[in-house]
Amino acid sequence: MRAVVAIALNTFREAIRDRILYLILGVALGLIAISRFVSLLTVGSEVKIVKDLGLSAISVFGLLATVFVGVSLVSKEIERRTIFTLLAQPVRRWQFVCGKYAGLLLVLAASNAVSGTALLVAVALKGASPWGLVPAIVMIFVELALLAAFAVLFSSFTNPILAAVGTTVTYVVGHLSWSFDLLEKRMPGAAGRALCRVLHAVLPNLDRLNIKAEVVHDVALPAGYLGAAIAYGVCYALVVLIIASLVFERREFV
Amino acid sequence: MRRVTTIALLVLAALGAGLARARIVHIEDARRGRKELLYLPNGKYLKAISLGHAPLMADALYLWAIQYYSDYDQADRYRFVEHVFGDVVAELDPRYTDPYWLGAIILTTEANDLEAGLRLLDEGFAKNPEEWILPYLAGWECDRAGQFDRAAAYFDRAAKAPGAPPALFRLKAGMTALGGNLREAIARWEDVLNDPRNDDAARAIATRQIRTLTVRADLRDLEAAIAAFRSTNGRPPRRLEELVPAGLLPRLPVDPDGRAYAYDPARGSVSSTAARVLGS
Amino acid sequence: MSAVVELRGLRKAFRGHLGLGRTVAVDGLDLTVASGEIFGLLGPNGAGKTTTLKMMLGLLRPDGGTVRLFGLPPQDVAARARLGFLPENPYFYDYLTPVEFLDLYARLHGVPAAERKTRIAKAIERVGLAGRERTALRKFSKGMIQRLGLAQAIQHEPELVILDEPMSGLDPVGRREVRDLILGLRAAGKTVFFSSHILQDAEMLCDRVAIVFKGRLRAVGRLDDLVSHDAKWIEVGVRGAVPPGLPGETTTAPDGTVRVKVDDVGGLARVLAEVPAAGGEVVSVWPRRETLEDLFLREIGAARREERAP
Repeated sequence: MRAVVAIALNTFREAIRDRILYLILGVALGLIAISRFVSLLTVGSEVKIVKDLGLSAISVFGLLATVFVGVSLVSKEIERRTIFTLLAQPVRRWQFVCGKYAGLLLVLAASNAVSGTALLVAVALKGASPWGLVPAIVMIFVELALLAAFAVLFSSFTNPILAAVGTTVTYVVGHLSWSFDLLEKRMPGAAGRALCRVLHAVLPNLDRLNIKAEVVHDVALPAGYLGAAIAYGVCYALVVLIIASLVFERREFV
Repeated sequence: MRRVTTIALLVLAALGAGLARARIVHIEDARRGRKELLYLPNGKYLKAISLGHAPLMADALYLWAIQYYSDYDQADRYRFVEHVFGDVVAELDPRYTDPYWLGAIILTTEANDLEAGLRLLDEGFAKNPEEWILPYLAGWECDRAGQFDRAAAYFDRAAKAPGAPPALFRLKAGMTALGGNLREAIARWEDVLNDPRNDDAARAIATRQIRTLTVRADLRDLEAAIAAFRSTNGRPPRRLEELVPAGLLPRLPVDPDGRAYAYDPARGSVSSTAARVLGS
Repeated sequence: MSAVVELRGLRKAFRGHLGLGRTVAVDGLDLTVASGEIFGLLGPNGAGKTTTLKMMLGLLRPDGGTVRLFGLPPQDVAARARLGFLPENPYFYDYLTPVEFLDLYARLHGVPAAERKTRIAKAIERVGLAGRERTALRKFSKGMIQRLGLAQAIQHEPELVILDEPMSGLDPVGRREVRDLILGLRAAGKTVFFSSHILQDAEMLCDRVAIVFKGRLRAVGRLDDLVSHDAKWIEVGVRGAVPPGLPGETTTAPDGTVRVKVDDVGGLARVLAEVPAAGGEVVSVWPRRETLEDLFLREIGAARREERAP
């Protein structure tokens, strides 16, 4: 366990000093600040613009941070040959993978906390109550945690570019998985319908983790939804992480 | 020498770009009158593209539409208002109320299309049953257009929405009266009087309205009876009491204070001397 | 005393690009390293040294044969806890300082928090990086990185230290320091296993060596046994006219001098007589003993000849 913590802290320290992270965070914060002025263009509810732009900025730039930091997690170590010294240590391969993931989560949590706080302040400055947004920010983090697991998985067996493509494709597919549900109803053959059903169940339903619309309109979520959604995200991430550990276990380092 | 050539080349290229841009802008301006009207696919497709950011896309389209519809140069611009606000933005974020009422106002006020405006408001209310403001606005538009019955129906719907202020019932009653159905209106005003949510001021208004409408209804009934008498007998009745045995009135109405209505047999007109009646 | 490292019949082949072709990197390697000795794995580039080391550490899986460290397979965490490793041409984390870097590795080895600081300080001192504890690694020169790598390999006092080309990238001063460090490790009772293609260093350090070429073991044993210390031949440098029939092989050096390799003093006497008689000049006499380089070149030459003539 201490190995996982040590690697996590190391990963966090290394990532937090990379300037790209601050660039991404800076743009997100900039957007949140600008939203105040953009909201003046609207006729009607101004705070909605601030909320929507803010939540989407946190989500999108969180995704960018996940991709940029996550995909090079393992490949950078290989490129730098630090992987050789690390794996020569009395550390098991799954501890390495989990440590890397934990480090990435720490980075994402820190970045989300900063941008989330900025958004809460922006909304409060507009005179509305910001606390309703907190569940949405939490769910954004859960979604990012799931995508981070995919980033680690791809990073454990391929180069950064392909890993970035893979993670981005996962994001897109995850947000379109509801279309398989619609497609199923229109498919002519039983095999096609079965395939759609399977895909819809197996692919990550990122849209179910998305509660931005409900939160912005102050619509109450059904009882137990939040808990179930968080559980889904956490368990799915765990599955992906285990697969990544297994892949990494078998990996050879030429 | 090389440096001078490089700088000269730079300046020429910049000038070229600037001139070309000016030309493009000029061409676009000339085309403005026949500029392509916006075509937006149905909101469902945009929702797919938005990848979980549908509310933001709705906001962006809404803001853009506001700018677009503020541009008075555009000749044929109202063709797609209902599509933009009703199909596209509403599909992306059905709970976003602003587009419904702004679109409705644009349609009714500037495009003079009451029906389209009402459709938009209906759609909005169907998707957001707690937003009483939408049927309220619909009722207001119908009032302006002189369709009082419809206005009354809308105010009724608005008043029954959760969280709606009880004053809306008064509007409904008022609209009913304007629609000409006075007895119905009186009944509605009595509802307001009996509603425990209303305060004394509201009840005072209700009382006054009931008195006024009762007088007007009574006078209308009396005038109708007198006209019928006149056509049968060739002359107005000498006294109001004659109307009852003639079968033209079930009984002789009295004003809310219990006094009889004044009658001028020479001219055949009735009037009221009741106090605290509006318009007297 | 049981062997610290034991390799038996180690084999590894790599599939070529897109699955076409097959390169054999290591072909049936047997060797043993005893406790407390310095062992050198020598060979030209591409001989399979790094592949062998990676198989010893569990970074690669052998196609055949076994690896045992302290009697355990390298996948066993208990085995890896007792060793330290420095890879070839390492880079390290750009944004860390040496102290943070060594701290990570100390943690991974389970060094308790109380001892960590002292151990790290000691290691930094030992590799000559004192004073640079807070500089970001980004700013380190190659030699400094190499030293830091060494620090990482030894800070937890492992019983076995494995080094892949430890002298690469170091200036003569650095190489001397590393040599002293390795000797110091042996004096402290540790076992050192390193791979190199710089033979002079191996000659100065190793107790036992193995020479590998194209994945096969060509020679293995104590340095003293493989390379005799007696004067083996005398090299005579001749300029000008060189008479034919001299008692020994002749090679021509780049500066035009002809080098004659005579077997013994008798041959030397003949050269000293015949050359001036032919009008030439003897410019140098150099008694040589066989060096590791000679052994090395001889073995490699023989191996290449074997390849060509099946």
